[in-house]
Amino acid sequence: MRTGLLSRARERRPQFAAPLLASLLVLLSSPAFAASPETSPPPAADLPAPTGFSAKDRPGDSGNATLLTWKDPSGVPEGAMIQIRRAVPPAYDWTDIATVKLGVERYEDTTAKDGVVYRYEIAVTVPAAGVSGPPVVSDPVASHDNWFSKDRTNSFIASVLFIFILLISITMAKSGKNIFIRRIAGLNAIDEAIGRATEVGKKVLYIPGIQSMDEIQTIASISILGHVARATARYGADLDVANRDPLTFASAREVVRSAYLEEGRPDLFREEMVNYVTYDQFAFTAAVSARMIREKPAAIFLIGYFFAESLILAETGQSTGAIQIAGQADPTQLPFFVATCDYTLIGEELYAASAYLTREPILLGSMRAQDIAKGIVIVLGIGGIIVTSLGLTWFPDLFKTK
Amino acid sequence: MNFEFGRVALVVLFALLPIVGIALGFFVPALRARGPLFVAFFAGIIPILSLYIPRQFLSGETGMRPRLDQWLIIVYGFALLLGIVNVIQNGSRKIARREKGWPYSAVLMTGLFLTGGLGIWGAVSGQGITTLPDGSGTPFKWIADHFFLPLQATIFALLAFFMASAAFRAFRARNTEATILLAAGIVVMAGRVPLLEFLSSPFPPLQPTAAVASQGLGKLTEWIMSTPNGAAQSGIIIGAALGAASMAIRVILGIERGYLGLGGGE
Amino acid sequence: MARFFDKLLNLDRRWLFLLVFLGVAVPIILPIGLPVTTTGPTRSAFEYIEALKPGDYVIISFDYGPSSAPENDPMAEGIMRQCFLKKIRVVVIVLYQLGGLQLASNSVAKVSAEFPNLKYGVDYVNLGYKDGAAAVMKRMGDDIAGAFPTDVRGTPLSQIPIMKGLRSLRQVSVVVTVATGLIGEYWITQAHQQSGVPVIVGPTAVGAPKYYAYLNAGQLVGMLGGMKGAAEYEKLLAARYPELGRFYKTTRAFTATKGMDAQTVIHFVIILFILIGNIAFMSRRAAQKKA
Repeated sequence: MRTGLLSRARERRPQFAAPLLASLLVLLSSPAFAASPETSPPPAADLPAPTGFSAKDRPGDSGNATLLTWKDPSGVPEGAMIQIRRAVPPAYDWTDIATVKLGVERYEDTTAKDGVVYRYEIAVTVPAAGVSGPPVVSDPVASHDNWFSKDRTNSFIASVLFIFILLISITMAKSGKNIFIRRIAGLNAIDEAIGRATEVGKKVLYIPGIQSMDEIQTIASISILGHVARATARYGADLDVANRDPLTFASAREVVRSAYLEEGRPDLFREEMVNYVTYDQFAFTAAVSARMIREKPAAIFLIGYFFAESLILAETGQSTGAIQIAGQADPTQLPFFVATCDYTLIGEELYAASAYLTREPILLGSMRAQDIAKGIVIVLGIGGIIVTSLGLTWFPDLFKTK
Repeated sequence: MNFEFGRVALVVLFALLPIVGIALGFFVPALRARGPLFVAFFAGIIPILSLYIPRQFLSGETGMRPRLDQWLIIVYGFALLLGIVNVIQNGSRKIARREKGWPYSAVLMTGLFLTGGLGIWGAVSGQGITTLPDGSGTPFKWIADHFFLPLQATIFALLAFFMASAAFRAFRARNTEATILLAAGIVVMAGRVPLLEFLSSPFPPLQPTAAVASQGLGKLTEWIMSTPNGAAQSGIIIGAALGAASMAIRVILGIERGYLGLGGGE
Repeated sequence: MARFFDKLLNLDRRWLFLLVFLGVAVPIILPIGLPVTTTGPTRSAFEYIEALKPGDYVIISFDYGPSSAPENDPMAEGIMRQCFLKKIRVVVIVLYQLGGLQLASNSVAKVSAEFPNLKYGVDYVNLGYKDGAAAVMKRMGDDIAGAFPTDVRGTPLSQIPIMKGLRSLRQVSVVVTVATGLIGEYWITQAHQQSGVPVIVGPTAVGAPKYYAYLNAGQLVGMLGGMKGAAEYEKLLAARYPELGRFYKTTRAFTATKGMDAQTVIHFVIILFILIGNIAFMSRRAAQKKA
C-alpha cells in the first residue's frame, strides 16, 4: 500500500467533493436558478388590509339585514378572499359568517336581528395557505326596517304621476268634456252576436279565462260578462258561463244574477247558467269543447287569460259555426285567437271594454289618462334612443328599478 | 295572543269592517255595495304600499302583505269547495233527469268520488296521498299516472291538429297585411326546422346549397323573431301593462264595479 | 277546375288531421336524422354555462307540467348534464303546481344515474315544490332556506353539504327556468330585478316569441325556444363533449333531436296546406272576377 502525498491527495479528493456538491445543490435550489420559482406563502403581516370598510343597516328593506361595503386592496396573492366575521359587543366573540371572493366588495348579512348591535370585521385571507391579513373592524351597527325603499323611487314617482293624471282626467270627464274613443270592432259585435243567438234560438257560451280573480284580465272579463248578461236578459237568449276557477265562478254567478235582476228578468235566471267545470286546464278544455260540439252555441265569448287551451277552444268553436269574440291582454295566445275568431280584443282593448260599453264619463276619463301615460312612454322611448345614441348612458339608468 | 299591528289591522279591515258593512246594509240598502268596495280598496292598496314601504308590519315575513296572500289561499280552498258542490249538483241533476249527455255526468261523478275519496283516505289515514310508507305508490297515484297524465298529454297533443286546420283556413292572402303575415309565417316555419335539408335529401348534389340556404333562412327567422316580433311584443306588453295599471286603480278606487255586478263608474 | 278549388277550400278537416298524424308518426317510426343548426339565444345560454367554474351554483327551476314535457324535459336534462360534467353544483326546485315535482324527480333520477360519481346532497340537491311562485322568489332573494326549509326528502337544509355555501339568490351564478306560462316571466320581472341573478329561460315554442323582448332588453342571458332550442342545445353539448355526443347518438330514450325530424315534416305539411289553400283561394277569386 502506498502512502504519501499522492495517496493523501486521493484521500483528500472525496473530502472536497461532498461539501462542494452540497454547496452546489444549495445554490442550484435557490429561486434564482429554479426552473419554476416557488412563491412561499406571505407572512400575515404582509397581506394588505381592505380599505373604506363600512357597515350599515341595509337600506329600503324590512329589516333583519345589514350591508357591508369595502374596497379590495391591491397586491393580494392568487386565491385570496375576504373573510367576514361578526361579534355582539361587548362580548367580542368573533364568529365567521362568510367568505367572499375578491371583486365583490359587498356583503349583505341577512342573519342579523333587528335591534341587536353588531360589529363586523373583515380581513384578507388565503385559505389554501391558512393565513390572514390584519383585520379591519367596523363601527357598531344595528339593523332596522325602513319607511321607504329608495331603489324604487323612480317607480313611486311614475305611479304617483299616473294616479295624478288619472284623477285630473276623471275630473275633466265629470265636467262634461266630450272624450273620443276609437271604434273597437269586437265590442261593437257583442250585441250583434247575442242578437244572432236569440234569432236562431241557441245559447251564448261565455268563458272568462282560466285564471282567478287576482288576475286583472279576469276582472275585466267579468265586467264584460255583466254587459253580456244584461243583453241576454233583454233579448231572452240562453246564457252558459263555464268556469275553471272557483273564485271566478262565485263572482260570475253574482254578476249574472245582478244583471238579470237589473233588466227586470229574474225569472229567466237559472243557477245552472253559471257553472263550475273543473280546475285542471286540459280537463276543462275537453269538457268545454265537448259542450260546444254537443250544444252548438250560436255565439262564443273567449275573454280573459288563456294559455295553451286557447287554440283548442277557438278552433272547436269555429268548427261549430258560432260567431266568436275573443279578448286577451297577454300577447302569447293572441295569434291563435286572431286566426280562428271573428273578432279579437287585443291588449288594452280588453281593459277599455267597460268604458266603451257603458260610455260612463268617469271610465272614459280613465281611458284618456291611459293614453296620456302611453304618450309619455313613447316620448321617453324616443328621447331615450336619441340620448343613448349620443352616448349619454345615464338616461336609461334613471328607469332601472328593483 | 299576539297583538302585532299588522295582524290586528288585517282583522279589522277584512273581518270587522265587512261584518259591520253587511249589518248596516240590512238597514240602509245604499250601503250594501260599500262593504265590498272597502274590502277591494284595502286588498288592493296593501300590496301597492308594501312595494314602497318595507316596514315589518306591512312587508315583513309576518306582515300584512304575506298574511293577505295566505288568507287568499285559505279563501280559495273554501271557494274550491263551492265549485265541487256545484259540479255534484249539476251532475246529479243531469243523471236524475236523464238529460242529454247524462252518461258523461255519471262518468264524471264516478271519477270525482273515487279519486277524491282515495286522496282524502290517504290524507286522513296518514298513509300518504301519493306514496305509501313503504315507498310504493298509492291507488290515487296509479289513477294520476295512468289516467290523468296521459289524458292531459292527449288533449295538449290535439293542438298539432288544430294548428294545421287553423293554418289552412286562416292563412289566406286576402289583403296586404294578411299577405305579409302569411309570408312571415312561412319563413319562420321553414327557418325553425332543417326544411331545406329535408327537401334536398333525395337530391345529393343540391345538399350543399340547401345547407347554405338553410343557414340564411335561419338568420332571417331570427331577425324576424327578435326585431319586428320583439318590437311588437314590447309594444303590446307596455300597452297592456298601462291598461292593467289603469284598470287596477279603477278597481281599487271603486270606480270600476262591473266585476261586483254593480253598474258603471261613479 | 273551379269546382276542384271549391272542394279543396272546403276540405273536411279530418283529411288534414290524417295527414298531420302521418306527418308526425312516420318520422318517429322511421327516423330521418336531419341536421340541426344553432341560433344566437341558445348559443348564448350554452356559452354562459360553459364559462362557469366548478363549484359555482346553478338553480334549475322546473316550472312546467306533463303536457309540455316532450319540449321541456330535454332542455332541463341537457343543462343538468352540462352542469354535472363541469362539476357545477345544481339545485333543483319546482314552482309548477300540477305534475312539476314528478317531472323534476324523474329527470334528476335519470340524469344522476348517468353520473354515478356524483353524490346527492354534495353535488346536487332537489328542494322540491313550493307554492306561490313570485313570493318564493322574493324570499329566495334573501334566504333560500326560508323558502325551502327542507329538501324533497325532508332533510333540513342546514344538514345538506351543498347548501352550506348557498344562502340567497345573489350567490347563484344563473337561474335556468324551464317554463310554460307565467312563472318564467316572474323569474325575469321579480327575481332578476330584485336580486340581479342572471336568468336563462327555456319556454315552450308558443311562449318563446314573448321572451325576445326580454332578451333584447338584456334581462335574459340566453333562451332555449321550444323543442328546436332543446335540439340546438343537444347539438352544442355533443360538439363540446364527445361522451355526450355518443350518448345522444345511441340512447333509445326520446331526445329533442329525434323530435326535430317529426317537427320538420309537420312544418312542411302545414306550409304545403297553406300554399295549396292560397292557390285555391286565388284561383277562385280570379275565376269570380272573370265571371
